[in-house]
Amino acid sequence: MSIGLTTAAYVVAAILFILALGGLSNQEKAKRAIWYGIIGMTLAVVATVASPGVTNLPVIIGMIIIGGGLGWLVAKKVQMTQMPELVAGFHSLVGLAAVFIGINAHLEMERALAAVADGTTSDLAGFAATIAKKSSVELGILKVELFLGILIGAITFTGSIIAYGKLAGKISSNALTLPGRHAINLAAFAACFILGFLYLQGAGLWTMIVVAIIAGLIGCHLILAIGGADMPVVVSMLNSYSGWAAAAIGFTLGNDLLIVTGALVGASGAILSYIMCKGMNRSFASVILGGWGGATAGAQQEVEGEMVPTNVDNTVQLLEDADSVIFVPGYGLAVAQAQGAVSELTKRLRDKGKEVRFAIHPVAGRLPGHMNVLLAEAKVPYDFVLEMEEINDDFPSTDFVMILGANDIVNPSAQDDPNSPIAGMPVLEVWKAKNVVISKRGQGRGYSGVENPLFFKDNSRMLYGDAKDSLDAILKQLS
Amino acid sequence: MGLKVGVPKETAAGERRVALTPETAGRIQKLGYDLQIESGAGDAANFSDDVYRDAGVTVLPDAAAVWSGSDIVMKVQQPSMAEAGMVKEGSLLISFIWPAQNEDLVAKLKDQKPHAVLAMDQVPRISRAQKLDALSSMANIAGYRAVVEAANNFGRFFTGQVTAAGKVPPAKVLVIGAGVAGLAAIGAARSMGAIVRSFDIRPEVAEQIESMGAEFLFLDFDNADSGTEGGYAKPSSPEFREKQLELFQAQAPDVDIVITTALIPGRPAPELWTAEMVAAMKPGSVVVDLAAEQGGNCALTVKGERIVTENDVVIVGYTDMASRMAAQSSQLYGTNLRHLLDDLTPEKDGQPDVNMEDVVIRGCTVVKDGEITFPPPPVSTSVVPKAPTPKKVEETPEQIAAREAAELKKAGSRTTMLLVVGAALLLALGTVAPASFMQHFIVFVLSCFVGFYVIWNVAHSLHTPLMAITNAVSSIIIVGALLQISSPNTTVMVLAALSVLMASINIFGGFLVTRRMLAMFQKS
Repeated sequence: MSIGLTTAAYVVAAILFILALGGLSNQEKAKRAIWYGIIGMTLAVVATVASPGVTNLPVIIGMIIIGGGLGWLVAKKVQMTQMPELVAGFHSLVGLAAVFIGINAHLEMERALAAVADGTTSDLAGFAATIAKKSSVELGILKVELFLGILIGAITFTGSIIAYGKLAGKISSNALTLPGRHAINLAAFAACFILGFLYLQGAGLWTMIVVAIIAGLIGCHLILAIGGADMPVVVSMLNSYSGWAAAAIGFTLGNDLLIVTGALVGASGAILSYIMCKGMNRSFASVILGGWGGATAGAQQEVEGEMVPTNVDNTVQLLEDADSVIFVPGYGLAVAQAQGAVSELTKRLRDKGKEVRFAIHPVAGRLPGHMNVLLAEAKVPYDFVLEMEEINDDFPSTDFVMILGANDIVNPSAQDDPNSPIAGMPVLEVWKAKNVVISKRGQGRGYSGVENPLFFKDNSRMLYGDAKDSLDAILKQLS
Repeated sequence: MGLKVGVPKETAAGERRVALTPETAGRIQKLGYDLQIESGAGDAANFSDDVYRDAGVTVLPDAAAVWSGSDIVMKVQQPSMAEAGMVKEGSLLISFIWPAQNEDLVAKLKDQKPHAVLAMDQVPRISRAQKLDALSSMANIAGYRAVVEAANNFGRFFTGQVTAAGKVPPAKVLVIGAGVAGLAAIGAARSMGAIVRSFDIRPEVAEQIESMGAEFLFLDFDNADSGTEGGYAKPSSPEFREKQLELFQAQAPDVDIVITTALIPGRPAPELWTAEMVAAMKPGSVVVDLAAEQGGNCALTVKGERIVTENDVVIVGYTDMASRMAAQSSQLYGTNLRHLLDDLTPEKDGQPDVNMEDVVIRGCTVVKDGEITFPPPPVSTSVVPKAPTPKKVEETPEQIAAREAAELKKAGSRTTMLLVVGAALLLALGTVAPASFMQHFIVFVLSCFVGFYVIWNVAHSLHTPLMAITNAVSSIIIVGALLQISSPNTTVMVLAALSVLMASINIFGGFLVTRRMLAMFQKS
């Protein structure tokens, strides 16, 4: 296949990727969009393999088959509730690949330069051949790109692994706040850039390997310092990084398809992060720099009163008396795997002629859109799963609201208490409904560690216990 | 084995209600109690003994059997002295008691050494206790019944009609006091088609009155202490009263029906509708005085009677409005009782726990273990202190337009700034960077823009699939690895091969997971 043909295939692939992302604007189109992505990817791989100078076909095919098989297995087996950690885990692979490719690029560059010195450039093929034709300025730029690719790739790699650990519950999701953590990060970045500068001056491969190690540590520390409630932002941010890493590698290799695709993914992740941050009314910087800042101006309002527990019988009674019901799912629903039970309950209540809807906060769960996916898995039709803005005005006219494992997103102190750490965050105004039942495992606080005055309100009742057990018990009693 | 809950037949004259209905019986049994009822207790409310038997309630022949054989006795009206004498030692009595007005009764009850006496009229008026609030349930019925009685005594339609036989003007109803009864009366009168006006000394209820469809009669008076006491109105100052009577006097010739519901707890009802006002009313008009029990809001009211004045105004002073709708009021009162038992029996084991830490139960309990516990310590109705919310200043349309224009201008100048800075940066880059880099750079910048516009359109609910698909797509990095895999350098080859492996996991895994997710989204 000629270079011209390869490039043409790349253009088509790039267009297909754009269509794939754009197709997600609604549920029906989305099912077609995914095929654009698959075809685009196939086209890109085939065109590359068929392009001049690419050999080692058996290795390529072997690796793709093994890798594909592994990916297929994981994707088949994974539970929908484990989606956040799966996505985070996948990001780490892209990060590591970027580091490897960056290091390879350096090795190839050395080989190409050696060949130039020997005058044997005609033996070179593929990537090395293109390098050999570069001027010294171009080589300098190449080195910068290479450095950026490795730096971002390494941060993505370790960051994603930590994010995976936190989401899978293997690492404590509390924010790790080392003393002087900003100084540590700054120093580490400074060290990386000094090494990068040395590298530009001709220092060898070791600088890049050290950069990869330091960047890896930065990635660990950065994500460790971010609390569990901010995980949606982290995952989308890592998504963005993996894109930028691909784009940087694209520059290094002079491959436009990599640049286009990397930029698409990078922009997508960045916008998602921005949307998430807006959902929590926090600046991107404060999320990335970790933890809920302790610098609130005054004392938080003390919450008085007591949490009043209720039981399944009373909840069933309230459900039977109510004409309109809204469920507010949160991360607890995912943990308890209760999406099937809530779906069944929804169906039963709707059969009785009650209006049942779901209210989804933009940052509910640990992934953007996490709750939608869970509910979709449980076959809750998406036309009565509503966003915060769509449903917030309806709470005052609602008889019964059931909160399933959500906390901070229904915390009234975001509106009432200017000293609360979550002040100003848009929240679902569930307390305006007639009755609220909160299904919760215990009396603990939410991920943000903020007390929730909702639980103390007169129209609130606490239904302690695992969300799935509670819902199953309700289903049994509901006539 | 649960305790026995007994319900005697009401002994007060004309009382038709009963503290247990077949429906509430089922619910109370679920709490673990055994139920028994005196034969004929539900007859006046149209619940026969057989219906109770069907609901699993034991029917006992007489009151003595109920009082002596029950651990908990539930009643509607306050017990007579004779009934109080039958209260068993260590038992529980739940009923209306009116402890402030009936000190003798409370003393007598205390001497019987019951475990506790709970007064349904003492339920604190807090949101959590609404389901126990028997006074509200009864007031609701009384308000409705007041309109029915008024209609019965009023010789005309409520609703205005234009018929072939002539035009009928709508009835004008004035409801004084917009508590639960007043609001219920407004609702009932409105739904029958009358024009309803209402007055209450608490200006804050104006909204509630208007929400029921009545016109709030506004009194222009600066009454600083019009506040409430435990949810009820407080007595008003003499100056205010004078203004108020002036207002009513002006209404008297105009309205056809007056329903008064003004009560101040523990005091005689204020006289709001004077003899002079009655005299000013048109013949055939009706006054229904729901405060008759406490002396009446109308000067001419005779407690428990219907009278007709000289100028043919009917004044209804019945004190048993709720009892006149015995089936309905028994049902609501029974449900209030059931809710109280619910709160008393958190374990559902048929063993009541009079928990004096619970403000609601504390409030109702007037006698506990040989001591009079009335009055209870004051309850604060709002638990969470409300932060003062700053009032939003309403903007005029001009201000809004001006603000929007300013914002647009600001956004516009910000965009211009960004463009200028961006262009300057690009130019600076262009002076140092070689042409080959700039070519790639153009592609990069344009792709960022495309990405930016495409992603904004993605539906919020599809953000997780978006992450999964971008994750799969980002493994395009495989192309880089493929370009390097042919290198003769073994290290390069191995690293590239590993990269291909990892990227493949990502490609297959990512696309498959996305497909799985998207397949789940479905319309109802």
